[in-house]
Amino acid sequence: MTAVVLAAVVGSLFALGTFLLLRRDLIRVVWGLAIIGQAANVYLLAMGEIAPASFEAVPILAGHGEEASHAQTADPLVQALVLTAIVISFGMTAFALVLSYRVYEEHDTLDLSELGDQD
Amino acid sequence: MDGLVITPMLVVLVAAVGTLLFRRQPRVRLAVSLSGAVGYAVAVAALAWYVVIAPAAPGIATYQVGDWPAPFGITLVADGLSVFMLSMVATIGPASLVFSARYLPKYDRRTFYYPLSHFLLLGVTGAFLAGDLFNLFVWFEVMLMASYVFVAYYGGPQHTRAAFWYVALNLVASAVFLLAVGGIYATTGTLNMADIAQRLADPAAAGIDPAPVVGLLALLLSVFAIKAGLVPFQFWIPTAYRAAPPPITALLAGASKKVGIYAIIRLSFTVFAGAQVPVSLPWVSGSSPLAFVGPILFVMAAGSILVGGLGAVGRDSVEGVLAYSSIGQVGFIAIPVAIAATTSSPTLRRVGILAALVYALNHTIAKGLLFLAAGTIESATGTTDLDELGGLAGRSPALSSAVFVGTLALVGIPPLSGFFGKLLVFDTAVRAGAASVLALLLVGSLLTIAYTSRAWNRGFWGVRTPAVEDAAVDPIQVAILVGLAAAILAVGVEFESVYRFADAAATAALDTESYVEAVDPQAVNGGEQP
Repeated sequence: MTAVVLAAVVGSLFALGTFLLLRRDLIRVVWGLAIIGQAANVYLLAMGEIAPASFEAVPILAGHGEEASHAQTADPLVQALVLTAIVISFGMTAFALVLSYRVYEEHDTLDLSELGDQD
Repeated sequence: MDGLVITPMLVVLVAAVGTLLFRRQPRVRLAVSLSGAVGYAVAVAALAWYVVIAPAAPGIATYQVGDWPAPFGITLVADGLSVFMLSMVATIGPASLVFSARYLPKYDRRTFYYPLSHFLLLGVTGAFLAGDLFNLFVWFEVMLMASYVFVAYYGGPQHTRAAFWYVALNLVASAVFLLAVGGIYATTGTLNMADIAQRLADPAAAGIDPAPVVGLLALLLSVFAIKAGLVPFQFWIPTAYRAAPPPITALLAGASKKVGIYAIIRLSFTVFAGAQVPVSLPWVSGSSPLAFVGPILFVMAAGSILVGGLGAVGRDSVEGVLAYSSIGQVGFIAIPVAIAATTSSPTLRRVGILAALVYALNHTIAKGLLFLAAGTIESATGTTDLDELGGLAGRSPALSSAVFVGTLALVGIPPLSGFFGKLLVFDTAVRAGAASVLALLLVGSLLTIAYTSRAWNRGFWGVRTPAVEDAAVDPIQVAILVGLAAAILAVGVEFESVYRFADAAATAALDTESYVEAVDPQAVNGGEQP
């Protein structure tokens, strides 16, 4: 059940991201990029097998400080990967927003089809 | 001695931080930057000597960061292939940094120029040395972030627009890369390249089903094709290359692009080649993911040669010609790789990779030289528009002869490095017995001759234009160009040793066993109790 919900969430995030990416408005494009990045993160998290919901599944809580069994905990590796990926996509979204402001300053418009005309 | 593996990265990292710290002391910062560039070249040379060139060289060296054993820790691997690619970067990187020191003072915006160019070098170096897939992703990002800023560097209308396209394209590519990383982790249960190769070679022992690997490799291939600028992902190249400062464009074309080529070779041949996956699609069949990579890469390469060649013939500025030309040249690099992927003969496979590497080396030096020359022409005459240039050959013979050597290397005239690159690429096609490929390569070469001679005739011969008449050519910039031209000549004259080096690189790229053995990934028993 969880797997189906996750698959649906990842799918709709990608659909929404792609839709926004194809808009003419620069800010929506940035939104689209951010959402596609997050969709990839959710997907990455889901790749570590879905553990049954219990506090034993949280890697840092499992075993209460004692050595924990790998069978019960969720995969900590994908969580570490996603942390890195989130930081990178956060930085990139900030950069893309600043860049779109700069595009606006230079072109006086945020409409992508009007940017293409000036050459 | 394994510490040598990480030294090139440490040197550029220290230089990057140093140039940030000495922001307010321009002289100190310049000294840090230049010594970083020289130190980088020395570190790479030492690594190359230790790994490949020395009499009893091990052929491969690994560095496990923090002594964590693979596949748990971060692994850095320097084998023949990595070291060969690093040597290419160590030629153009320092040249570009020294050139920048002479090129930039006219533009008063160099605060973050040096740190960023060192971070760009750091990303490229890390990507060549990374021993696991996720680190490859991270180093790609480091390299890309620096290049985003450089494309937007001058901040004008066309620069911001080019930068936005470049950023949007590469952010999507990064998401696709993450998807492939996640998929490969779910399929094989590991991200360490040696471990992936080991598990794919014996899927039953690892308890995995390798079938999804073919599709995931296709995802990776598209990401790397974007970095390398292969058709149909070439559209960002002309705008981005025109927007970035010329010394950085030399780095982007010489180093960043090669990261895409390197990743295609490393992952397809070293890592995924051992997987036994029956591929049966229309026109494509075989028992390894390579059978699938080959035809796709071939179509991309053929498209690149034609689009790049035809596009370059019609450009009206020096950078425009060079940018399209580098799309076409990457096609020449990818053709032998595609042949190597399709063939089943081990000799032909090695020859194909070898040809691609030699051609890549030639492209790095020659195209780097030409992009730097575009910078010199721009700072001397104030324009790179071929209509406003003319008679440069008489105005500055040294600059013109360096450009002439670079141009001839692109065309492939003996005894320059380009001749051997072209020769080996044609040799691969002949050995594969593919007449259509030969025809394509010939058309590509003719197009190269057409656009280079057109650019040369319009820019360097003919009547001097007012812009050229008033030109003030910087002698030190020209000295760097002449140095690179000498390097092209030296590669051609001393080709025997270059060939041995490239041969070691090609052998290393195909030798999965030694790669796995050197990294020595420990067995991991899935989610079971340890």
